[in-house]
Amino acid sequence: MAGTGKAHLRDSPDVLLRIEDLVVEFPVGRTGLKVNAVSGISLDVLRGETLGLVGESGCGKSTTGRAIMQLPRPTSGSVVFEGSELTRLTGDEMREARTRMQMIFQDPISSLNPRRKVRQIVMEPLNIWKRGTDAERSQKVDSILEEVGIDPTRAAESQPHQFSGGQCQRISIARSLVLDPSLIICDEPVSALDVSVQAQVLNLLEDLKAEYGLTLIFIAHDLAVVKNISDRVAVMYLGKICEVAPSDVLYENPAHHYTSVLLNSIPVPDPEVAVTKTAIEGEPPSPVLPPPGCRFNPRCPAAQDICRTEEPQLRAVGDGHFVACHFPTVTPVELSTR
Amino acid sequence: MTTTIDATTAPEDAAAPLPAAPTPPAKKRKLKWPGFGIVFAVGFLGSLTFLAIFADYLSFIPYPDAKIPGPDGRPGRYEWGPGTAAWFGTDGVSGDVFSKVIYGARTSLQVGIFATVFGILVGGFLGVIAGYFRGWVDRIVMIITDCLLALPALLLAIILVDRLSDLAEDASWLGWLSRKWTIVITLGILATAPLARIVRAQTLSLREREFVLAARSLGAKPGRVMFREILPNLIPAILTVGFTGLSILIAAEGALAFLGLGVEVGTPTWGKLIDENRNKIDEAWWATIFPCLMLFLTVLSFNIIGDRLSRRFDIRQAGV
Repeated sequence: MAGTGKAHLRDSPDVLLRIEDLVVEFPVGRTGLKVNAVSGISLDVLRGETLGLVGESGCGKSTTGRAIMQLPRPTSGSVVFEGSELTRLTGDEMREARTRMQMIFQDPISSLNPRRKVRQIVMEPLNIWKRGTDAERSQKVDSILEEVGIDPTRAAESQPHQFSGGQCQRISIARSLVLDPSLIICDEPVSALDVSVQAQVLNLLEDLKAEYGLTLIFIAHDLAVVKNISDRVAVMYLGKICEVAPSDVLYENPAHHYTSVLLNSIPVPDPEVAVTKTAIEGEPPSPVLPPPGCRFNPRCPAAQDICRTEEPQLRAVGDGHFVACHFPTVTPVELSTR
Repeated sequence: MTTTIDATTAPEDAAAPLPAAPTPPAKKRKLKWPGFGIVFAVGFLGSLTFLAIFADYLSFIPYPDAKIPGPDGRPGRYEWGPGTAAWFGTDGVSGDVFSKVIYGARTSLQVGIFATVFGILVGGFLGVIAGYFRGWVDRIVMIITDCLLALPALLLAIILVDRLSDLAEDASWLGWLSRKWTIVITLGILATAPLARIVRAQTLSLREREFVLAARSLGAKPGRVMFREILPNLIPAILTVGFTGLSILIAAEGALAFLGLGVEVGTPTWGKLIDENRNKIDEAWWATIFPCLMLFLTVLSFNIIGDRLSRRFDIRQAGV
C-alpha cells in the first residue's frame, strides 16, 4: 500500500480542490534527517462533496489538512483551490484565499482564545476583513450563533471555558462559517467529544453543509464517524494513500489489507460476539525512515518480495474504487474507464 | 357545567392559589477572608501611596526641609527620638524623618513604577516578537537579553547612570533627562531582560495553541495575532513578573542612592536617608531604621501581591 499515482483523480469541472503530489517534510533537529509526514499524495474534492480522510495517529492526516491551508506551506506539490494554485500565492494573496476555506480543530477549547468573549471570537473574522457595518456584523454573528445552537446573549458575556466541549465546537463551527467559505477542513472535530455530543455535532455539520452548500474534508481516525458523513473516503498510512473509494464501497468491500484491518478494529457493540478477527501487529514504522517499497509491507499479512522493493500505484478495482496494493483483496479492473 | 366544579371535584391545586415557586435559598456566599498578608500589603501600599501623593496638603506631615526645633528651642542634630514632637524622630539636620520617609516614597515609588513600565513595554515587545517570529529575530533578542543578564546588574547600573548623566550634560536636546529619569531608564533597561525572557517563553508555547492557528487561518496578520490573540494571554505573567520586579527595582533604587547615585540633591529618597544617617546608627537608630523599614515593607508588599497574582492566574490557566 501506501502508493502514489493519480489514477483516482477526476477530470470534472466541479473539482473544488485538487492536490497533486503533496509532500510535507519536517527537519529533525540538526541531524539532517527529516520526518516524511506526507509523501506525495494526490486527492481531489468535488464541489458539495464530503471527503473523509482516515488513518491511524501520525499518518499525516492533519498535516495534509494544514498543508492545504498552507500552514505551514508544503515542501512540494500543488494545491489548486477554486482554480488558483495556492502554493504560488504570496503571503497577502494567501491570507485572502484562506477566507474561502476554513478549519475546525480537534480540541474545541484550545482552538478558542481563553481570554476573549465568545461573541468577539466569532466576530473576529469579520473584523479582520472589515466586512459590513457594525450592525451588519452583529446581525450576522447572532444569526450564525443561533443557527449552531448557541445563545447569542450568553455568548456576548461568556468566555470559552464557561461552555462545554460540544458547545465550544459549535462556536468553532460558527466562527468558520461567518466568512462564507466554500471549503471547511474538519480536523478530527468530534474526537474530543462524548459519543452523544458527537452525533449532535455531526448532524449540525450535515445540516449546515446542505444549507450553505459547503464542501467538507473530514479528517478522523474513527471509521464509524467517517462512514456516515463522507461521500468518498481516502485511507492514509504513513504519509501515503492506500485506498480511495465511495464510503459504502469502502466499508463493504475493502480492497486494501490495511483498510480491512482498520475496519476490523471497529468494536462490535455486542458482548456476546466472540472476538475472532485478527488484529494488526506491531507499530507503524517511523516516518523518519519509512520502509522501502510499499510502506505497509512490514505489517501486511499478504506481503511478498515485490512489496518490499516496488511501490504500488493507485489503480482501479471498481467504479470510483482505487487501491494502491500489489495484491488487493479485490480483483483489479484492467484498463479502468477512468 | 362550571357550577358543578366545587372544592371536592376540582383538582386540588387548581382551586388553591398557586404556591409561589420555591425561591432557591439565597446563596450564602461565605465571604472568604483573603488572608492577612494580602490585606496588609494592599493596605500598606494604599496608605503609603495616599500619603505620598497628598503629603503637601496633610497638616500632620511637615515639609521635608522644615527644621524641627529641639528641646532647647533651637534646631540641632538628632535631638528628638520617635515621639510626639516628630513621629519618627529627627535627623542630622533637624529634619522630620517621618516627613522625609513619606516624601522619599514619592521618588522611590515613581522610579520603581516608571522603570517597571519601561521594562514591560520594551521587554514585552521584544519577547513577543522573539517568541512569535523565532528565527533570526529570536536570536538577536536573546543575544541582547543574555548579555544584559550576564553582566553584574549593579556594575551595569553604575556605568549606565554615569554615562547617561554625562550624555545629558553634553547634549542639549537631552535637557529633560534629569537624574531621576536617568535612573528610571537605567533600571528599566535592567528590568527588560528578565521580562523579555519570560514573555518569549510564554509566547513560544502560546503560538502553538490552536486558537493562534485558527486566527492565522482566518487571515489575521502577524501583528493582529500577536496583539489580539497572544498578548491578552500574557497579561497575567507580565503582571506577576512586573510586581515582583517592581519590588526589586525599588530596592535597587535604594542601593544606587546609597552608593551616591541617587536623584538630585534635596530630594529625599529612602536610599539617601539610609546613606546619610547610617554612621550615627548608634546614637540615633530611628533615622536609619525607619527608612529601612519602609523599604522592607514596600518590597515585601509588592512581593506578596505578585505572588498572589501568580497563584490566582495559574489556576484558570491550568484549567483551560
